[in-house]
Amino acid sequence: MSQQSIQSTADADQHSQPLVEVTDLKKHYGDGGRFSGPPVKAVDGVNFEIQEGETLGLVGESGSGKTTLGRTLIQLETATEGTVSFDGRDITKLTGSDLKQWRKNAQIVFQDPDSSLNDRMTIGEIVREPLDAHDWNSPAERRDRVKELLSSVGLQADHYYRYPHQFSGGQRQRIGIARALALEPEFMVLDEPVSALDASVQAKILNLLEDLQDEFGLTYLFIAHDLSVVRHICDRVAVMYLGKIMEIGETEELYADAKNPYTRSLLSAIPRPDPTIDRNRITLPGAPPSPRNPPAGCQFSTRCPAKIRPEAYADIDDDTWSRIEQFREVVRERTRDQMGVRDRVKRRLGTFSKYDDIEEAADDLFADVDLPAGITDTVDTAIEAVKDGRPTEAHDALTREFGGVCDTERPDMHQVSDAGRLSYCHRHDSEYDSVADTLADRSHE
Amino acid sequence: MAANTTHADDTRDTTRRSTDGLWTRIRTNPQPALRWGVVAAVLVVLELGALTGGILTLVDALVMGVTGLIDVIVGLVSPALAGRVVDVQLALSTFIEGVRSTAQSLPTLLSRDVIPNQGYNDPSTVRSFLGLSYNAWTGPFLGLSPAAAWAIRMALTLAYSLFTFYWLYRGWLTFRTHYRRAGWTPRDDMVNRLRNHSWGKFGIVVLVLFLTMSLFGTTLAPSTVQQNITASYGNEVQYVSDDTGAVETIPVGEANFNSKSKGNPAQNVGVMTYDDYGRFHPFGTLPNGRDLFTYMMGGAETTLMVTGIAIGMAGFIAALLALVSSYYGGTVDLSVLTLADGIVSIPQLLLLIMVSVVFQDHWLKSVFNGGLLLALVFGLTTWPVLWRSLRGPALQVAEEEWVDAAKSFGQQPTVTMRKHMLPYVLGYLLIYASMTVGGIVIAMASLSFLGNGLGITPPTPAWGRAISQGQPYVSSASWHIALIPGLIIVVLVTGANALGDGIRDAIDPESEGGSEEEAAATGGGA
Ligand code: SF4
Repeated sequence: MSQQSIQSTADADQHSQPLVEVTDLKKHYGDGGRFSGPPVKAVDGVNFEIQEGETLGLVGESGSGKTTLGRTLIQLETATEGTVSFDGRDITKLTGSDLKQWRKNAQIVFQDPDSSLNDRMTIGEIVREPLDAHDWNSPAERRDRVKELLSSVGLQADHYYRYPHQFSGGQRQRIGIARALALEPEFMVLDEPVSALDASVQAKILNLLEDLQDEFGLTYLFIAHDLSVVRHICDRVAVMYLGKIMEIGETEELYADAKNPYTRSLLSAIPRPDPTIDRNRITLPGAPPSPRNPPAGCQFSTRCPAKIRPEAYADIDDDTWSRIEQFREVVRERTRDQMGVRDRVKRRLGTFSKYDDIEEAADDLFADVDLPAGITDTVDTAIEAVKDGRPTEAHDALTREFGGVCDTERPDMHQVSDAGRLSYCHRHDSEYDSVADTLADRSHE
Repeated sequence: MAANTTHADDTRDTTRRSTDGLWTRIRTNPQPALRWGVVAAVLVVLELGALTGGILTLVDALVMGVTGLIDVIVGLVSPALAGRVVDVQLALSTFIEGVRSTAQSLPTLLSRDVIPNQGYNDPSTVRSFLGLSYNAWTGPFLGLSPAAAWAIRMALTLAYSLFTFYWLYRGWLTFRTHYRRAGWTPRDDMVNRLRNHSWGKFGIVVLVLFLTMSLFGTTLAPSTVQQNITASYGNEVQYVSDDTGAVETIPVGEANFNSKSKGNPAQNVGVMTYDDYGRFHPFGTLPNGRDLFTYMMGGAETTLMVTGIAIGMAGFIAALLALVSSYYGGTVDLSVLTLADGIVSIPQLLLLIMVSVVFQDHWLKSVFNGGLLLALVFGLTTWPVLWRSLRGPALQVAEEEWVDAAKSFGQQPTVTMRKHMLPYVLGYLLIYASMTVGGIVIAMASLSFLGNGLGITPPTPAWGRAISQGQPYVSSASWHIALIPGLIIVVLVTGANALGDGIRDAIDPESEGGSEEEAAATGGGA
């Protein structure tokens, strides 16, 4: 498949527009209510395109917004901003019967085979429903079509009158695929289609999906939570973190020579068949921040192993620096808390004590390192500010002292290879060291 | 090419099999269907008159319920239009009434006419049977005593009813084993689980008995409501006078007057006794001398009408709103919530008193002797309780990916709700409806107990009124008056709850029961 679609990508480059083109797409939840607090920025401005016949992998941790992005592409969610054009037509504005007609073109295969099929309907009814909904031909032809579909996904025609309960996870996933195929879509979103299945079944389903793509000329968006699954099935891969695409490009090239720090850390986590090849595993500290409160600069800045440091602290050893970064993240998290009236009064009276535990957190982090005097002062000032109930002040002070461009400015998408790979990182600016050098330096210290 | 042909044949074959309708499937294998059908036909013929009458009564209730609701809603907008609705309603009802009286003349084997139980015992009448001569009654079946004739008729009717319900179930089993396309469906497991649930089965039996009481009440009782209660001075009984020894005639009302149960042994017709007019009273008599058993059967019919309409209406509204509010969520959900909370905050008893006063002379008050009005009030005040219990399960189904799948291929919201959500909500509706029904039965009895223009208009039988009449005699010789109706209500309410438990365990084997929602649903009484 790979070869064939590289071919088709090349073709597409020559002539027409891509099948799917996503521009500045945003999906925010809980926006608008006065008391709802800041919105969840599940997808926060992404751009990419998918060529006809191609498989684009979309990889990210849970909470990265990949599923929301997939659902927005097929209009299961309404985009907050931006456009999705399909065959040159913006589909985010479609309504009523236009939308219903368009829906035939794009279908989805869900992750959880237990939840994706209605247990009270027979397999025949389930696969037939899309045809019924669109009044496709005569009822007898629909039945024949369902049987055809069942056999093309590797099931038998006499499964028609069975219920989902009577099938294994893999078979249920095949049923879900048959349903998605019923209306002959051009584009399919595969939302982690194999991650709920046993390893032995996974390969079979992946093969089936590849065969179907060849047979029907389908275009896939393949969502996965790690890079290991997508390598064999995808022509190109997009890596997503906190609502943003960090790196996107041809699969093989991206695997061989990832440019973005986040992609690199994901790749380093894949178990290697050949352990003699030395590639240091990068473990990311902490957890991704909440999408309600993403960092102001680069989304990855709170955990990035290659983050750009201010000149003044270039010589501090990595361990110490990473502790400082973690401390900053603890303080940043505190700025999220909405303070109640009672706490505000207490703060004014100077009896505020809810945040006193910051001291413990700092003790834990800095207990066994010797901080240079200048740093200790800044940290202590910040601790005092937090204890007084002014975490925002503390956060600002810390950013002023320790912050760099990664904390304050959103990076641009930089082209990082001849094939057109893009990466979202300040380090691709010529004024900074490259990601590879930095990571090598820091891991060898 | 050869391979191709075979393949084509195969396809055609499977296609033909699957396009066959139920009728064709029965024709290819008629035996089981015939076997079931013959027995079913016999059952129908046996009770043709009563069955049609019963069905028509239900249809009548349904028509009344639906048009009543429409009328109330239309009445809010335009009273003139509401008048039209009433005309239609009355016309329909009169028509059904006409058909029903024709139906009554259809042959019915298990009827009062075929096995009569009323008559007098003239000592001079002697019959012989198998060479034994005995002093026979004039009137009752085979000259037996009224008690024996009544017992035979009641036993046969009960047996008939239980067997008919069982046979309906057998019909489904026959369909399932011989004619259904799917070899197994999830519903089979539920039915099997319910079949092994003795508490649930108790509930089913109670429900079937209650339905029998309401639908076959006239056949079960020693007398009829019309003869013994509502038109007691228009009917007469014959008896052998103690004074003269001759057969005399007396209006039922007068006979009732002399058969009162007033608590002292001298003036009491207790359980399983005869009064002075040769009338047998299985449950004794009321303080006004009416037959309690007949009264209870009449009360069962009223209770079925009112609770049936009320729970049907409440269940329909609740399910509809639960589907809509959980599918759309947000503002829709919030407005239903507000409406429901508003309705729940009205004290039901107060509302009923107000409605009774306002509708004092309204035609609505006369339908089913005030029963329809009660049913409407119960229905309109009960749905919020049901809706709250259904909302949780409905929200849960709305979250399922198959609902998203339906949306993704452009399925209409109404179809999605019906096909993908309703089947799951329906089970819970059955659970909570059976548990709420108890509350309505009790509320209705309490209203009749209170009297004063509340509840069912006298003299139409109402269970609560019997309890209220018997209350002064609880610790006297006439204890039966309050005790028996009380027990029947307790058994019915317990049975309904048992059924709810059974269904819950059947559809959701892992559930433990006793959740807050249930407590809320059961507490639906006044
Ligand atoms: S911009 Fe900074 S924080 Fe973001 S990935 Fe690049 S180096 Fe890391």
